[in-house]
Amino acid sequence: MTTSPQQPPGLTRRDFLSAGAKLGAAILAAPYIVRAAAPQEAGDTINVGLIGCGEEGRVLLSAALKIPNIRFVAVCDIWPYNRGYGERLLKKFGHDPKPYEDYREMLSDIPGIDAVIVATPDFMHAEHTNASLRAGKHVYCEKLISNTVEGARSMVATARATGRFLQIGHQRRSNPRYVYAHDRLLGQAHILGRITAADAQWNRAVTEDLGCPAHQEIPEAILHKYGYANMHEFRNWRWFRKYSGGVISDLGAHQIDIFNWMLGANPRSVLAGGGRDYYTNHEWYDNVTAIYEFPTKTGIVRAVYQVETTTSAGGGYHEYIMGDEGALKISENPKYTRLYREARAPEWDKWVSDGLIIRPGTGEGALPPVKPWEKPRPKLSMVSKSDSTVDVRETAELSAWDMPVVLDKAIHQPHLENFFDAMRGKGSLHSPGEVGFATAVTVLKVNDAVAARKMLMFAPEDFTA
Amino acid sequence: MTHASFRHEAMATHFEVVIAGHDESYARQAAAEAFRVLDRLEAELSLFVESSDIARANRLEEGASIAVGDDALQCLLLAAGVAEATGRTFDPAYGSVGAPGHPQGAPVFTLDPAAHALTSRAARLHLDLGAIGKGYALDRMGEVLGDWGVASACLNSGGSTVLALEPAPGSAGWAVGLGEGGWRRELRLRRRALSGSGVAIKGSHLVDPRTGQAARRSLRAWASAPAAVLADALSTAFFVMADPEVAAFCAKHAEVGAALARADGSLELHGALAAGDSGG
Repeated sequence: MTTSPQQPPGLTRRDFLSAGAKLGAAILAAPYIVRAAAPQEAGDTINVGLIGCGEEGRVLLSAALKIPNIRFVAVCDIWPYNRGYGERLLKKFGHDPKPYEDYREMLSDIPGIDAVIVATPDFMHAEHTNASLRAGKHVYCEKLISNTVEGARSMVATARATGRFLQIGHQRRSNPRYVYAHDRLLGQAHILGRITAADAQWNRAVTEDLGCPAHQEIPEAILHKYGYANMHEFRNWRWFRKYSGGVISDLGAHQIDIFNWMLGANPRSVLAGGGRDYYTNHEWYDNVTAIYEFPTKTGIVRAVYQVETTTSAGGGYHEYIMGDEGALKISENPKYTRLYREARAPEWDKWVSDGLIIRPGTGEGALPPVKPWEKPRPKLSMVSKSDSTVDVRETAELSAWDMPVVLDKAIHQPHLENFFDAMRGKGSLHSPGEVGFATAVTVLKVNDAVAARKMLMFAPEDFTA
Repeated sequence: MTHASFRHEAMATHFEVVIAGHDESYARQAAAEAFRVLDRLEAELSLFVESSDIARANRLEEGASIAVGDDALQCLLLAAGVAEATGRTFDPAYGSVGAPGHPQGAPVFTLDPAAHALTSRAARLHLDLGAIGKGYALDRMGEVLGDWGVASACLNSGGSTVLALEPAPGSAGWAVGLGEGGWRRELRLRRRALSGSGVAIKGSHLVDPRTGQAARRSLRAWASAPAAVLADALSTAFFVMADPEVAAFCAKHAEVGAALARADGSLELHGALAAGDSGG
């Protein structure tokens, strides 16, 4: 990474101590610095190589660094800017990763790698995963498993042939709130009655295409070597057909996977509409709406999925599972997670007294205590005028039942832990390649339905790799 | 020289980035990258995000530890340092409930930088980076702009904390107003941060963490420092401190300045602000 001609004056991560020293020795936090007790042993150290240190790779890196006995020994990315970020972050945590541009060198150079995390653009998932599996590594691969069904099928086959674990990054399947909803609320208590409908949405505001810092462009020859047409497509690969399955894959895959999981079924048909109606310089649709038909054990469930990239529509994203006795709105964000009871349902007092759910008005919805720092701040008049703002904090609504479950970790951490636990012989994968394959079949057919402008059918065998 | 201005909502306020010297398209992409970092920081530092490091810390039992991210660690180290330096007139753990037998004045949380670990020493830890997190974010965002080769920029959070990088070519600094009415003065900030603290709503008050009582000051206080994270935290400390304490702090720390509003609207200046140091 290059530095600007002059370092910015703000306190950079790189010079916290020196900037603190500007204020004299008294600024140092000595009384607060105490060696922590070592975390309880979580098993042997697992050596990990990361392929892809872009936005998603960084999220996984940050989450994995909170798991004991995980050591990153290599960071691979074709963009030095990303690679440098990963190296610097890991060194702060005492890791000493070797940097690589080419994953093949990484795999041949470091035989001691136990696991590989693949967080590259979707069109590379199959190549990176298959090579890592064949090199004897276990693989955690980000969703969507692949941008093609053929690619996904090859990954499942390689995992089977090599006997290595392949976890796909549908991290909701390890989120304790989702697991609780699936296993306890729906699986045991059948609290929603007969499930009749589902919907989910992820709507995002208009965003600019990603740019590149000056002088950080990857040379064209290198881009071509790794399959990218140019820097713009490398940075904005999600919008281009060669590299990605489009928004239904990028945003929809997580939530459509929840349809399959919560309903315990694969769909038998999908009807979809969408288009490239807003952004003129992209290839993929910028909006898609799909209607699935799921034949579940208790009857037909129609599930609607909507993804917009032109409006945040008030913000938030969630999945909604609806039954004749109640509805579950669930999201990675607990603010959007609630249970609603139908008037015709038996009272839920039993579930409350059993501790299965929490009555409205208690739990996390309670108002936070008043703290001295939450004060109105005076405005400084600026050269560039800014509208007046009020420091209002969000407060959860209290109108619905809650789950007594807190996600006490980074959002992706439980899914990574599940992967590492499986490697250590503790439990099975929550989202193995077979699950990722079935989800990919479910998701990618939407694009076909949009193009065909008609309902498309699935055969049960389509979901088997 | 053209200026391009961009806004983004985060941490329950509006952040603004003004960039000079680049075409708008490039400036927009650089600002967008800074805002992406801001959103990530909010997810890691906000008390109100269930899986954030701070929310996780606040659920710890006494003696228990968690691994935290590097930004949470750095921000907490700075917060702890400012708490020490200011005699706890700024205290990110104010509101914590001490464990029985906890020594008076001993920290209610400890940090192990090598292990990126935070340990609670409280019966109920209540960390809140609300008075420092926005400043920390501004510094991080300034760093991102530096990576993008953007030298001339001015960033602010909610208009109450400003971080000025290099001014536009030909300008002495980014103009920022301090005080009101006839006493208003304009500073030209360069490579420096300024933050205001005060009570804008009648009847509200700020608590002095040392006593648990309402702070005596009822008018505004400003802090000037070489980093936004410090200006942000120090403005709160200065509001809580008595005037002589502010003067003594500024005398000890040459890089810091303070402005305290008097009842007649005039400003009492200390340290770097009294010296007319607007940065550089």
